[in-house]
Amino acid sequence: MAANDKLIQVKDLKKHYNKGVIRALDGVTVDICKGDVMVVIGPSGSGKSTFLRSLNLTEEPTGGEILFHGVDITKKKIPNEKGKLVKLDLDKHRQKMGMVFQHFNLFPHKTILENMTLAPVKLKKLSKADAEAKAKSLLERVGLADRAAAYPIQLSGGQKQRVAIVRALMMEPEVMLFDEPTSALDPEMVGEVLEVMKELASEGMTMVVVTHEMGFAREVGNRVLFMDEGKILEQGAPSEIFDSPKHPRLQDFLSKVL
Amino acid sequence: MGSMISQAGFDLTFKYVKLFEQGIVVTVMLALFTVIFGFLLGILLCILRMTDIRPFRFLAIDRNGRLRDGGILLTLSKFNPVSFLATCYVEVIRSTPVLVQILIIYHGLFKAISLPKFTFFGFISFERFFPGVVALAMNSGAYLCEIIRSGIQSIDGGQSEAARSLGLSRGQTMLHIVLPQAIRNILPAIANEFVVIIKESAICYTIGVQDIMAAVEAVRGATFRIMEPLLVATALYFCLCFPTSKIIAYVERRMSRGSKR
Repeated sequence: MAANDKLIQVKDLKKHYNKGVIRALDGVTVDICKGDVMVVIGPSGSGKSTFLRSLNLTEEPTGGEILFHGVDITKKKIPNEKGKLVKLDLDKHRQKMGMVFQHFNLFPHKTILENMTLAPVKLKKLSKADAEAKAKSLLERVGLADRAAAYPIQLSGGQKQRVAIVRALMMEPEVMLFDEPTSALDPEMVGEVLEVMKELASEGMTMVVVTHEMGFAREVGNRVLFMDEGKILEQGAPSEIFDSPKHPRLQDFLSKVL
Repeated sequence: MGSMISQAGFDLTFKYVKLFEQGIVVTVMLALFTVIFGFLLGILLCILRMTDIRPFRFLAIDRNGRLRDGGILLTLSKFNPVSFLATCYVEVIRSTPVLVQILIIYHGLFKAISLPKFTFFGFISFERFFPGVVALAMNSGAYLCEIIRSGIQSIDGGQSEAARSLGLSRGQTMLHIVLPQAIRNILPAIANEFVVIIKESAICYTIGVQDIMAAVEAVRGATFRIMEPLLVATALYFCLCFPTSKIIAYVERRMSRGSKR
């Protein structure tokens, strides 16, 4: 695959605490290409959430590189066109990476519509009228057009997570990061959220998904990473991972979750 | 002297009703000015405590331009002198009696700075009233700083993470996401601090502020009665504080109604 297809290149990413006694991430190297739907699986504490949260620097790594469009966003200062060191505008990069959280993190003091329009309007990406029109059409797509004026507390978990997804889409990100998006949901609400994610994947959105939904990983993912103790132990197409796992730790993990 | 409490004692006390009237005005004024200045000081202290000024920041980065993962240099890099000084102030104020603070302010600070001698409202002596307000505001500011700070810190970290992940800056996140929620949470505590100040202002009579307690002392000096003026003062403080806290509780209920379905 050509180099410019690589949207995010992660090189030897490390996150150590206490002088390396605790290693949440211990040398993760992976490329995420345009259109990838990469699913990250693994036991709790394996570092999969830390890995995902590092991609937009919600967690600050202690070692390694994350190249986004070829720019190392873990550096505080980067050379500009003239080779001079300038401060890295992390906020600009974050605008291009949408993130969806386990606990939704909608803003409780804002209506659904305000939740969606706040960032694009404040960041001068869209006018207020344009943002509202865009928000309404996105809400329409996820079947929540009638809830625009509601507050987050009035919504069910599944509805909140659908709003969180379209809120991130308002910024027209190039990649969407999902951190266990269905783990805090009642079982009967998991489907409606996965449905939205599936649709997003089918439209060609680049996605990195940390999840325990093995069905989703197999059906929607085109690559699966298995992580344990801060390392990628095995990666490959869903069929390879699920039907012929090689690493004993993965075999053990799958025997427990499937 | 007759019994501890007698009708005659109250009759004597009520001859000085004018002093109590003036005392009420002074007490209310003290509390009002203290709340205003105390709140401003509280916000300032809170901003100072939450600044990100770290002169030794560079020590956190190792030779390869990476964040260190531990060690004394990382600890040192987190040192913030501005926050340190503000924290010292808050802790000293909270760990010493307000009586000591007010006496130091009056006999120390305002002996060094001479205040103009004039009265306002006809009976409030500025050179005693002002040090009282300063001392109470300095005390209250420290407590309000902690209230505001805890309000900000009570907001779930996920809120900031969500806002930052959308590309909002640190400042925008604070202004649009964290502060509006924090203020709603701390309003009851701030209002409660107002009631506390009304009661604490009684200490100002020790520096000669003519508040309700000063009226008690004046009556005592003139009539040698103590229980009757004290009971009058009790009733007056209760009539100031109880309705205030009830009004606050009512407003609080109204506000929390908005955040529920």
